[in-house]
Amino acid sequence: MTRKTKNDDFPHKADVVIVGGGINGCALAYQLAKRHVDVVLCEKKYLCYGATGRCGAGIRQQWSTRENTELAIRSVKMFEKLEKELKMDIGLRQGGYLIIIHDKKEMRQAEKNVAMQKSLGLNVSILDVDEIQDIVPILDTKGINAIGASFCPTDGHADPFKTTHAYAYAAAQHGAKLYKFTEILGIKKKNNLIDHVVTTRGNIKTNTVINAAGAWSKKIAEMVGVKLPNMPFRKEILVTERIKPLFKAMVISFKDGIYFSQQDEGQILGGIPIPEEKPGYITTPTFTFLHHMAKTLTHYAPSLRHVKVIRQWTGYYDVTPDARPILGETKGIKGFIQCNGFSGHGFMLSPMVTKILSDYIIDGKTPPILEKLNLSRFDDKKIKREISVVG
Amino acid sequence: MRITRHPILEFDRGRKILFYFNDKKVEGFEGESIASALHASGVRVLSYSLRYHRPRGFFCGIGKCSSCFMTVDGVPNVRTCITPIRENMRVRRQDGGVGELSDKRFAARKKMVVDDEIVVVGGGPAGMMAALAAAKQGASVTLIDENHRVGGQLIKQTHKFFGSLEEKAGKRGIEIAEELMKQINSVPGIHLILSTTVVGCYNNNTEDGGDRYRLVAVRRFMDGDQLLDVFCKRIVFACGAMENMLAFPGNDLPGVYGAGGVQTLMNVYGVRPGDRVLMVGAGNVGLIVSYQLLQAGVEVDRVVEVLPRITGYHVHAAKLRRCGVPIYTSHSIKEAYGSDRVEGAVVVEVDKNYAPVSGTEENVSCDTICLAVGLTPSVRLLEQMGVKTEFIPEAGGYVAVHDQSMQTSLNGVYVAGDASGIEEASTAMIEGQLAGVSAAASLGYDRGANELISRCRNALRIFRSGPFGEIPRRGKEKIAYLFDKMGKKIWGDSEL
Repeated sequence: MTRKTKNDDFPHKADVVIVGGGINGCALAYQLAKRHVDVVLCEKKYLCYGATGRCGAGIRQQWSTRENTELAIRSVKMFEKLEKELKMDIGLRQGGYLIIIHDKKEMRQAEKNVAMQKSLGLNVSILDVDEIQDIVPILDTKGINAIGASFCPTDGHADPFKTTHAYAYAAAQHGAKLYKFTEILGIKKKNNLIDHVVTTRGNIKTNTVINAAGAWSKKIAEMVGVKLPNMPFRKEILVTERIKPLFKAMVISFKDGIYFSQQDEGQILGGIPIPEEKPGYITTPTFTFLHHMAKTLTHYAPSLRHVKVIRQWTGYYDVTPDARPILGETKGIKGFIQCNGFSGHGFMLSPMVTKILSDYIIDGKTPPILEKLNLSRFDDKKIKREISVVG
Repeated sequence: MRITRHPILEFDRGRKILFYFNDKKVEGFEGESIASALHASGVRVLSYSLRYHRPRGFFCGIGKCSSCFMTVDGVPNVRTCITPIRENMRVRRQDGGVGELSDKRFAARKKMVVDDEIVVVGGGPAGMMAALAAAKQGASVTLIDENHRVGGQLIKQTHKFFGSLEEKAGKRGIEIAEELMKQINSVPGIHLILSTTVVGCYNNNTEDGGDRYRLVAVRRFMDGDQLLDVFCKRIVFACGAMENMLAFPGNDLPGVYGAGGVQTLMNVYGVRPGDRVLMVGAGNVGLIVSYQLLQAGVEVDRVVEVLPRITGYHVHAAKLRRCGVPIYTSHSIKEAYGSDRVEGAVVVEVDKNYAPVSGTEENVSCDTICLAVGLTPSVRLLEQMGVKTEFIPEAGGYVAVHDQSMQTSLNGVYVAGDASGIEEASTAMIEGQLAGVSAAASLGYDRGANELISRCRNALRIFRSGPFGEIPRRGKEKIAYLFDKMGKKIWGDSEL
């Protein structure tokens, strides 16, 4: 159902219109408003409705590509100061990420990754099996054939709801206007310049639109005739009842695709991809996932066998062909800025990504990272794929 | 706390059973739930909350809330209100209630696969009628309920029903339940699976392209649980409703009960909830339960109703007034107090905007507060499947959008009773029949289906035509409007 609400307060113009009220949209609103840009954010549903509110909430700096690693390291530095800056709790906890290494091939890749990550200043190391057991005692390292793991103690997780709302609140304090239940119906151009956006509450005249609509970014881009290579993939997560505190690290395995962690209040939360998942806007959860996840999780941690699952739910990964985000201005359409395609890592990269984009919008700064992650990279045939992906 | 004399009910308590509560011997009766037996022995605090360690007691009594979670024979977080007692069972109070860590393998009980034409989830009035109606048409039906017996909330309705004779008017709910239970056991084609909770519903159409739905259920046995993997062509969701909570300080104190929970305690198990009750809400449930409390020998201090009028039938209100129970309209509860159980409450008058009028606070001396402030349809399983739901205040909250044959936005998935909008047991039975016949007819079973369907629809129309049927009628009209707006082509319905 779409409705129009008459609202005299609804702005008729703005410097920047942000599409999407997830973590990236809200963080962008904050970064821009802080520097006195007149920002309007439109969210179709409510803040955190999309991937942000459904994600695994992990923050990881161990990547295979330099760009992601760099973005993540700088994001963590910002996460660490965020509570002070936004004056609100974001539920940050740095218990580390433990990436299980199962065989020699994985070991070679891990060594390569760790060397690159270390060169960027990250505190990361490769652990032996005994050291794994110290960090996550419930892991059956024999059963899963672990021969080691890479571990970064400053990785961790934050509360996506608290973080998004902290950004949104701070943005509003700086004068940003955030409209929930406000859908973008169209984006109109004049001579390859953005002219105005059409929303369910009225039109907003603007020259800059940021597409931070997550899985729906593709549809937003189509409104201006831009074809994004992004595909929405349903991803599933489950959470168990609370158990006594056992470990603080997020455990992941690229081989099995599983990730799981223990929340502050004791629940085990994690996900795993289901085989043969096709792209599309499907929101219903599957038994295939529940079965696959329960089986794999209890294989990793057999003592969880009798722990009850409380809930399972779905969300979307907005997946690009190289599993890296699409950032920056769109070639040919001035003022149409992409901030999407995070392929499952939007939350953890958001502080730095939004900082870079706001610096670009305000100062015109184009750091190399922004060029490398521009949509135009898909014009080339050869792309460098991020391979450190789970879930 | 056990009721020995009752004007309507006779409690044949059967065999005594001894079990342990925190290592102390406690006595109960066969067929009784753990929570009820503990209540009868004076145990009010069943657990402590995780974060603030506040005492929690009995609340809903039908397995819908988490107030009664206890550790039973070493297994944490067991819903003691729907778990029957067993000899020498060891029940412990939980503080926080964390899950069990154990390396032991699951018991040898293997997964059971059920494959049937129609599955009915919930064995209350709507579900029983749906199963009966579908089976009488010739379909094969599996009826699943999480309690250890069918009957739903009918088994505690000691009052006589209204309506026409055809709809069992003049009979008490408990008698209707008995009658339907007998039929369920005698009509061929119904497979009854009890003590089994459906925990997941999956739309197999989107999973493997098949035309069947998949449900996952957990069946509780003495020695552990069994997983049920259920496949079917049609589903009828008749999973009822949950009691609403009201926000006031002290609302989590043991002694604050849902009205349905109170009914379960006194009318099913013959246990008095307390000695003196403050009833919140003067709808039919509040009025009827107040009267039933009097019948059970419990004092009712008063009934408070936030609206400026009594919303239940006046015949029920009049009965209460004749017994000397005052009904305060434009009044509500302000707070409940007590250290680890209710020791009293403060009520207050409200103005026309429902804001408390200061200076009108009054202390009520009571040990029990009974909340009869409405119900919320249980639609979570439907939502999990991807059935379209909408918020309809007149229907009690989010409900599945459905058509005249009770079919939802998913082909072959039906809904009936409170789960399709809060109403009465009488209409739930008719809706159940409608859903059951329609589901069977869509599979090609027809033993006078058309005639039955039009009779059901007519009966629903009559039930909802009076002034008291206005709210559910408006709710159902909205649902019908939304269904039409979806513009969905429903097969099986056009020729009916």
